[in-house]
Amino acid sequence: MLKRKLLAATIAATLCGTSQAAVDINGFASIKGGMALGSGDELYGYDDDFSFKNESLAALQVKSDLGDKLSITAQLLGRGANDWDVKFEWAFLSYDLTDTLRINAGRLRTPFYKYSDFRDVGYAYDWSRVPQSVYGLGFDNIEGASLYHTTTLGNFDSSLQLIVGSYDGDAAIGDAAADAQIDNVTGIAWELGQDGYSFRMAYLVGKTTFYVDQLDNSATGLYAQLRAFGLGSLAGELDIVDESSSFAGIGFNIDKNDWLVVSEITKASVDNSFISDQESYYISIGHRFDNITPYVSFEKEDNDAKTEIYAGVPTASPIFGPVAGLVNQMETERNSINVGVRYDFHPSAAFKAQYTNADNKTADRKDSVLVVGVDLVF
Amino acid sequence: MLKKLLLIPALTLSFMAFANVAVIVHPSNAATLSQDDINKLFTGRAKSFTDGKAAEPVNLAEGVAIRADFDQKALGRSSSQMKAYWSKLVFTGKGTPPKEMASEQEVLDAVAKNPAAIGYVSAAAVTGGVKVALTLN
Repeated sequence: MLKRKLLAATIAATLCGTSQAAVDINGFASIKGGMALGSGDELYGYDDDFSFKNESLAALQVKSDLGDKLSITAQLLGRGANDWDVKFEWAFLSYDLTDTLRINAGRLRTPFYKYSDFRDVGYAYDWSRVPQSVYGLGFDNIEGASLYHTTTLGNFDSSLQLIVGSYDGDAAIGDAAADAQIDNVTGIAWELGQDGYSFRMAYLVGKTTFYVDQLDNSATGLYAQLRAFGLGSLAGELDIVDESSSFAGIGFNIDKNDWLVVSEITKASVDNSFISDQESYYISIGHRFDNITPYVSFEKEDNDAKTEIYAGVPTASPIFGPVAGLVNQMETERNSINVGVRYDFHPSAAFKAQYTNADNKTADRKDSVLVVGVDLVF
Repeated sequence: MLKKLLLIPALTLSFMAFANVAVIVHPSNAATLSQDDINKLFTGRAKSFTDGKAAEPVNLAEGVAIRADFDQKALGRSSSQMKAYWSKLVFTGKGTPPKEMASEQEVLDAVAKNPAAIGYVSAAAVTGGVKVALTLN
């Protein structure tokens, strides 16, 4: 990694006299082009027009070591899909309590998945993108604090992360834009590794509130209409107001004799709402031939609509259609197959190509997409 | 890859191209080091020597030939695997890779001066100012 060290000696001299602040600047970028292969196919933001914007991104990370175990890290990231608007993806303070215990506070990545922390850093993994069936929760970051503990337990390397915080931002339900607020997020993520094998588990809970205008508008929304029909309790079973939510994930990883196997299984649920329980998994197998790593992976997404919510509503009722439609749109069963290759053609860059075929059994459609590109770190 | 292509003629010419890697510390450093200890120090999983004193690993830049030997022999990974490994830690605020130096001479100087330092050079380059903690063949 080409690292540019800048000594902010003058600033340091002004602020604290004796010590100096070392600033590390690192960056990463992915330049990818892709398109859906069949006419009418749509997947991961691609359609049948070739796009270089959809999944390309670039980021700069600045880390300043303030001395005395305190540092600050900020990551500025621009995504092609957002017209390259640059945002602070992360900004946090780190304080090393001991050699093995660190506190981070600020805007952090939520440790849902094995690759959560570096899902944007394509260079760090072999795929063109993390498996979307699993990594599709729709929000990545929270504002909060995390305690990060690394140690060895016998022959195992252990890293344990405890996190508290909240999320306030955009989310999507189907095609509708939603304002999401997830409060009191509390979670644990634990990874154990030894000699090419690792095992990970994560469990997080929170209180979720979604506001979707078509549903929640106090005058015109669906819930207001249900309440006008005297169906307040039905509205309460559908709406997403401060609902208990949980996320559980387990995964393992093998990197042995140039064979690479990785798998994660996750389950997410939002109680007392129309959001379906979301169960997903993937498994990926690859083999490293020196600097060329081909792989295949399989993903499954299985979200069961909570049809029991409207079981008591007569089908002749005028509200049956809207309510059943809302609940049923959360049903998804989708299998995806990926075949791809990573080629380390340069010390700081990898070329990748990946073909994906997604078989959406609920919607009875198959979509395929091909993406090629370069991931680099600098 | 270019580097490897360039190495092939060198390898056929001389056995000396299979350089042994000498892991070096300051002469005052009495810690014993296994390959596993070295692996942990250079991957950021350990931050002190086996005697409990803080360690400051010093790496060589990727352009220096012995770097690839060290990555393979001490860490069991290629240099690009190591880069992917560190990018996971760097971009998550969980770790910082060892300082990289441009030449073996710089590593020798840094280790000779700093009682906490640990570095490596090709065995043939070792000088009296440093102590060889372990030789990796």
